Amino acid sequence: MKPFTYVRATSVAEASRMVVAGSAPLAGGTDLLGLMKGGIASPARLVDLGGIDGLNGWSRERGAGLRIGALTPLVDLETSDQLARHLPIVREALRDTATLQLRNAGTVGGNLLQRNRCWYFRDAAIQCWLKGGTQCFAKEGENEHHAIIGTARGCNRVAPSDLAPALIAHDARVTLTSTRGTRSVLLADLFTDPALHSREEHTLRRGEILTEVQVPESGLQRRGTYLKAMERKTWSFALVSVAVAARIRGGKLRDPRIVLGGVAPVPWRVEAAEAEIDGHPFSDDLARRAADLLLADAAPLAKNGYKVPLAKELVRRALARIAAA
Amino acid sequence: MEQLALVQGDDAEAWAADAVLTIVGRPQRRVEGAAKVTGRARYTHDIRLPGTLHARILRSPHPRARVRHVDASRALALAGVRGVLHRFNTPKTAFRGEETIFREEVRFVGDEVAAVAADTEAIAEAALSLIVVDYEVLPHVVDLEEAIDAASPRIDEKGNVLDADRYERGDVRKEFAAADVVVEGTYRTSTQLHNSLETHGAVAVWDGDQLTVYESTQHVFGVREGLRNALHLPLANIRVLCDHMGGGFGSKGGIGKYTIVAALFAREIGAPVRCVLDRHEENVAAGNRSATLQRVRAAGKDGRITAIAHESWSNVGQARWVADPTGPTKGLYDVPNVLAHAHRVLTNTGSLAAFRAPGYVEGTFALESAIDELADGMGVDPLALRRRHAGSQVDPVSKMRYSLKRLVDCYDIGAEEIGWSRRARGGLRGSAPGLRRGLGMASQLWSGGGTPPAYATVHLNPDGTAVVRIGTQDIGTGTRTVIAQVCAEELGIDVRGVRVEIGDTDAPYAPISAGSLTVASITPAVRLAAKDAREQLLDVASGVLEVGRAELRVEGGAVVSRGARTPIAKVFEDLENYTVIGKGSRMPNPDDIVLKTFGAHFAEVEVDPATGMVVVERVVAVHDVGRIVDPLTARSQVEGGVIQALGFALSEERVVDKPTGRVLTSGLETYKVPTVRDVPRIVVRFVDVPDTVANNVGAKGLGEPPIIPAAAAVANAVANGLGVRIRHLPLTPRRVLDALAAAS
Ligand SMILES: Cc1cc2nc3c(=O)[nH]c(=O)nc-3n(C[C@H](O)[C@H](O)[C@H](O)COP(=O)(O)OP(=O)(O)OC[C@H]3O[C@@H](n4cnc5c(N)ncnc54)[C@H](O)[C@@H]3O)c2cc1C
Repeated sequence: MKPFTYVRATSVAEASRMVVAGSAPLAGGTDLLGLMKGGIASPARLVDLGGIDGLNGWSRERGAGLRIGALTPLVDLETSDQLARHLPIVREALRDTATLQLRNAGTVGGNLLQRNRCWYFRDAAIQCWLKGGTQCFAKEGENEHHAIIGTARGCNRVAPSDLAPALIAHDARVTLTSTRGTRSVLLADLFTDPALHSREEHTLRRGEILTEVQVPESGLQRRGTYLKAMERKTWSFALVSVAVAARIRGGKLRDPRIVLGGVAPVPWRVEAAEAEIDGHPFSDDLARRAADLLLADAAPLAKNGYKVPLAKELVRRALARIAAA
Repeated sequence: MEQLALVQGDDAEAWAADAVLTIVGRPQRRVEGAAKVTGRARYTHDIRLPGTLHARILRSPHPRARVRHVDASRALALAGVRGVLHRFNTPKTAFRGEETIFREEVRFVGDEVAAVAADTEAIAEAALSLIVVDYEVLPHVVDLEEAIDAASPRIDEKGNVLDADRYERGDVRKEFAAADVVVEGTYRTSTQLHNSLETHGAVAVWDGDQLTVYESTQHVFGVREGLRNALHLPLANIRVLCDHMGGGFGSKGGIGKYTIVAALFAREIGAPVRCVLDRHEENVAAGNRSATLQRVRAAGKDGRITAIAHESWSNVGQARWVADPTGPTKGLYDVPNVLAHAHRVLTNTGSLAAFRAPGYVEGTFALESAIDELADGMGVDPLALRRRHAGSQVDPVSKMRYSLKRLVDCYDIGAEEIGWSRRARGGLRGSAPGLRRGLGMASQLWSGGGTPPAYATVHLNPDGTAVVRIGTQDIGTGTRTVIAQVCAEELGIDVRGVRVEIGDTDAPYAPISAGSLTVASITPAVRLAAKDAREQLLDVASGVLEVGRAELRVEGGAVVSRGARTPIAKVFEDLENYTVIGKGSRMPNPDDIVLKTFGAHFAEVEVDPATGMVVVERVVAVHDVGRIVDPLTARSQVEGGVIQALGFALSEERVVDKPTGRVLTSGLETYKVPTVRDVPRIVVRFVDVPDTVANNVGAKGLGEPPIIPAAAAVANAVANGLGVRIRHLPLTPRRVLDALAAAS
């Protein structure tokens, strides 16, 4: 690990000023320190956000939706019964996230901004496309965990976060603050459109601090659920995960969202798939049609074809679950 | 094989099956348990001697290359760097059949190229990147099946595929022609990494020409021997210590290159040097269980297995030996016609190291899968088919009798416990719609009879407590506790009054803690030493108490005669520091008798065919390993073996990138050992009949038996539940889904 300096910011504005080229914000450090030890990230300075007031905790105001501070430890969301009443999908997603130790230290903002787990990307000796090289080593290589869709060119990584699909399914937004001001974007737009072939995973700009996640009132009215397939029962990133959410009226699914993790470089949504089920009562057949549309463009690599049937099955189960609840 | 043994004294009569023992055979809390859970137990990693320097190793980034030149000048210029070793400045130091630790041709990504010693680990690490190495990159191959392919680069003059062992009995070809049913399958197992929690490492320090090495090892005497060969020192000048140890699973059988690096630097610089591997190094350069490709054909006729042919290829990396997977095929079942042929395949990957039942885990998976396939083909219950070949009391390979074999008892106990009668062809319905449930079983054969030489001494203190000294080591299995039990039992004192001194080459010799050797090798010597001490005590007591020697015995820390109890301390009261020193040595094994362990595992699984998820719900493990000295530590041994096997069966797999030769799963996040949530209910049972022919304690080893049949039992259960057989471990969701897609 390269030597670095450490500073503690006391306000968002100060943090934003400090995060210049060569600096990185530090939340729980569970991803960032791993990247540094592995030689993938080597910031000269860490700007600890942990001392900033007002970024920790969540609140719910009638009519104003739900707000979650970016520095809230994952475990606090997972264990809050009150939050589980407003947005049960968060607990479902977090229960299978990483391990309890990591959820104790890891934060909401850090989880959404974590880097991908591609084993070529995480090996400092491999100069892959995402790290400025010319090729994706997974494409012809060991790609059983890689993307089946949305890769276009460049990079076959998959979006790693469990929280992201869950929150996107409820139309979450994030607030990004820098010395230039504050903007609010859809969480889905925090992830770089793979078609742009950007060598960044997130659309966060230098100096921007993620301060808050908001779930709008309309999002809270959806019933959601999260399913995750893993290679062991815990401490494992998703092979495939799915978040679904919809309002259920008169037995019909309304305004649905289906978001996949583990299959594409970003949390994966296809509007046509959602439109297919919007306004219809659940049936296995309907779910299958939606899943087919969701994965219509899937182009698996040599070793990850299994993700297609797996994703389709998880979509079917998740929809069945919210319809039955 | 002729065994030459130096015998000292006479053996004791074995404890009979009905002998009344008060300590042996009862659950005993680990004598070192408190030290471990309170963090006081010292491991090699904890050894920090004053002034210690830290060594790190530069490893090859290429799977195969020639080291043409090493320029260490920039590294040496870094403040805090105390020395650099590489192939052009390091004295010849023999290591595992090679002349030097830094080869001219490096043969895998992670092979040792140079080493740095510095004031801190961080400086040493930083210095590594300042060493400039000129490599001539050579063609390589890392994949087992590609290495077999004649079109791949030849990485050794003798070729990539080397014959290892061929065995035949009967006439396999004739029986295949005459059979009713023949099944044939190609089985694959993946490279398993040991992942000992304590990584490999050593700390070396010289005092004049006396070398002391602290090493995390399964064999302090093996390390001493390795140091003698490498450094040409008299044995009296070498002391090796290993107090507590965080696992080895076979991979810590002798010195490593890190040991020699530490010793050389320590001598050159005149300071203690610590060289321990990190997790990544552990998983690229500290050994593994070979990936295998195995072809098994099995023939049946008239309801019996008539012939088995088993051919195997193992990816050994660069190793000079192979963990032959065909052992179980030769010896497990009484089948008249067997052909076994093992090959060693060289690749540019880290070499194998012994890994808990090397070869047997892989081979049992292939053999026991094939037996199930044959049973299916013949339309008989797979357990019933095995029973027909499991009762023989004669070893089919040597044609000699076993000392004791209760494999059929294991079947009876296990079948009852798992509810084998529920098993149905094609599996059972699962706990929810769509889920499938299956039952499977497999048997195990292993040695475990122990071996001489092993020596122990027992010092009886004047207060009636005792110190046992023996040069074994406790690799985490409970060796200390078992020694204390046997000593206390024989001596007639309380277990808490026994201190066990092990892990030191200044103690009398004991063999490697591997291959299920330990208990059966050392406890008979400990018992004899304790017996010697007890007899001397009785001589003294007879004189002091003026009672005939024959009327005295030791019980509960006291000398007892006709109702009178004299505490041992009292006997010695007027004798000042008179010390009784008992000696014992391990007697040779009986001639013309085969000592083996047997067992059977039964597994119940639930499989989700739509997601490929396999959940092992229950494993019943039944073993026939002679007397159980401590049921508590025995149970934990079995649980550990089952869990390690479940990893091999379901989730553990070293993945190597073919073009770069890099291990992609060198961390604990990507290399998936089971977590506590993955562990099913494990029911542990023992036949628990002492093997009185084997040795005076009647115990055999239990290190390897519990890992051998578990993966095979799970694979058979999955095949039973799914109706589709997957011949490639681990059974990840991907393999299950791919196999189901291929089958439909
Ligand atoms: C072994 C392992 C297993 C894991 N398994 C899972 C899993 O199954 N599912 C899953 O979802 N995750 C998993 N994770 C990831 C884990 O959830 C994340 O590491 C954690 O949530 C990150 O939070 P943190 O606060 O520690 O972030 P940090 O490591 O502190 O930061 C992560 C990144 O975000 C940036 N950052 C953090 N906070 C802010 C902010 N407020 N504003 C701007 N930038 C910010 C940092 O600069 C850094 O680039 C796993 C991690 C590990 C190590």
